Amino acid sequence: MLIAMMALCGFAANRSLAVLQTRNSAGSLVDATSPQVRLPGTIFVSQDGAIYAIAASGVRRLYLPAGGAWIQPRALPDGTLLAVRRFSQYSDLYHVSAAGRVLGQMTAANQSTSNQTLQLNHWILWPAVSPDGNSVYFATDSPKPAPGQSYEVDFSLWSAPLNGTAATDGGGISGSARWSVPDMYTGGDIEPVPLPDGSLLYSSYANTGKGTVVSIVGLQTSRTAAMVSLTTPAQDCGAPAVAADGITVAMVCTNRGQTAALEVATLQGTALVGAHVVVANCLCNSPSWSPSGGNLLYMNASNPDGNFGLWYIAKAGSTHPGVPQRVTDASVNLDATSSAAWMSH
Amino acid sequence: MARGSLVAAGFVFSIFAGVLSYFMPAIAVALHDTGQVNTSLGGSSQLRPVSANENLSSTAPFTLLLLGSDSDAKFRGAYLTQSMILTRVDPATKHVTMLSIPRDLWVRLCNGNNGKIDQAFLHGGAQCAIQTVESNLKVHVDYYAWIGLQGLVSVLNDVGGVNVIANNPVMDDYYPADLSGGNPFDYQRILVLPGAQHMDGTLALEYVRARHDDAYGDFARSQRQQQILIALRAKTKHLSIADIPNLATSLGADFQTNMSIVRVSGLLPIAGAVPLASITQVVLLAPYTSSEYVNGQDALRPDWSLIRPEVAKYFPGA
Repeated sequence: MLIAMMALCGFAANRSLAVLQTRNSAGSLVDATSPQVRLPGTIFVSQDGAIYAIAASGVRRLYLPAGGAWIQPRALPDGTLLAVRRFSQYSDLYHVSAAGRVLGQMTAANQSTSNQTLQLNHWILWPAVSPDGNSVYFATDSPKPAPGQSYEVDFSLWSAPLNGTAATDGGGISGSARWSVPDMYTGGDIEPVPLPDGSLLYSSYANTGKGTVVSIVGLQTSRTAAMVSLTTPAQDCGAPAVAADGITVAMVCTNRGQTAALEVATLQGTALVGAHVVVANCLCNSPSWSPSGGNLLYMNASNPDGNFGLWYIAKAGSTHPGVPQRVTDASVNLDATSSAAWMSH
Repeated sequence: MARGSLVAAGFVFSIFAGVLSYFMPAIAVALHDTGQVNTSLGGSSQLRPVSANENLSSTAPFTLLLLGSDSDAKFRGAYLTQSMILTRVDPATKHVTMLSIPRDLWVRLCNGNNGKIDQAFLHGGAQCAIQTVESNLKVHVDYYAWIGLQGLVSVLNDVGGVNVIANNPVMDDYYPADLSGGNPFDYQRILVLPGAQHMDGTLALEYVRARHDDAYGDFARSQRQQQILIALRAKTKHLSIADIPNLATSLGADFQTNMSIVRVSGLLPIAGAVPLASITQVVLLAPYTSSEYVNGQDALRPDWSLIRPEVAKYFPGA
């Protein structure tokens, strides 16, 4: 009996130490007690390669086809979605229903036939629908040098008819029109936001020539116009999102550091005015706006090693914005590089 | 009375056995990997006692040379160091300085030949890497820690990944596909999206290793390596001595150091207490270095008249 108790003590000491180990776990969005804040309509977010719909009635997973990671959902006016399906070597743009049924594959970026021609594959990311609902804008690493010719691979911005078919070279959609030429070896131009007047806002990466690559929020008034810088290299701003009024802009600025600030400004002609910080010293990313108002969603981790969640600020563009509120449970770790899509119904 | 003592001793022994069995993986790794100059990677066969020359005062500043190698099957155990970061930790002021030494820096190696500094480890293991850094940069190195590819992935996964703000889209169509178990000479395409995000070990490795589509190549990835180290420091706040066995098991042969396990465990709370503002990051861009073609190789020619005063400034007393 005594020997058994001694053995039990030894085992207990061993397991007590095991209990002290650091636990790193993140729950599924469906399992966690989300949402913490009830918002009208439906919000689509990405976690671990799956897209979830958050509504007042609860959280549901869109059962999209298996394989690859489903990211960057975008709401269309008819209640359907655009989404990116990212595989390890390429990504494609899909049109899907709000229930998760694939309505169409819009691009065919998997063009490689062997490891030696891997460079024929493409990334297609950051889809955005024009305010009139007729065009889709996206970033792709096409065109680029043939396999073995150069290491250069950077994003440029393109637009295409929303009902277009996949281009045969894998770089996008047939009939696409190019909007930008990237600064080489920087990552290029990403995150397009088409505006009601036909101009395009986006993040443009630039080589400072002084050992750094920085992000600038740029504006092009037409497809062939030169980009106008709306922010400075020192601000290092990107991830622009425009509210329904077409002029209130949210963006993330890092000042080239390892913390960020979520800022809101007003687009006045070809300038951003009245920029002010709404969330300082954060790990903010991927802002997006409510469908008709000035309420802002964004991703943030509540502390440097915490999970990324969805956060909300009511009337973020006003002079008296609301207090940031976490929408998703703290145990949930969302894809912070994938902005939320907010549908009014 | 004698029986009572025997029973008490039995309980103490069983608890000790339980604790010992818990820490057995760490003890095994410690015996194999720490407190000695690595010999399996071509280093000196002369072992150094754990405590020799080791000032374990919790407040004395010390220097640590961090070494990282592509330790995949391509190299068959003959590793260069793709990453060399000289670090100074001042526990009293909670200040950390990180100086990335470019792998292509053209220097006099420990064996007297001239070559890129990443070859020092290949020629003489950690001992040669330390000697080469000390003689060229005129700085004293107290400790070193070497980590291989899989070791970095494992340790980052074990701590649950890190949160990082990626500066820009990091893309590489010629990234080595050497950890998948297939042909180590194959390529893979990688893309790390920009902005704040959570990175697991594999994504973090891609972030610090990619260099082909980068305006600043090796310099840019040196900066990214420093970013990951800074992000990792936030995780150390939550680590306790109970985590050491798991970490030791994960790192296995992909980690070597001459620090004693006492020093390693003492580092954890220091790292967690260093505020972001107290970390100085140094990268030797132009004019400290200039690109040159030396002996048929692309290399970086150091300007020691500029570099050494900077090293003396950032590594005082070392």
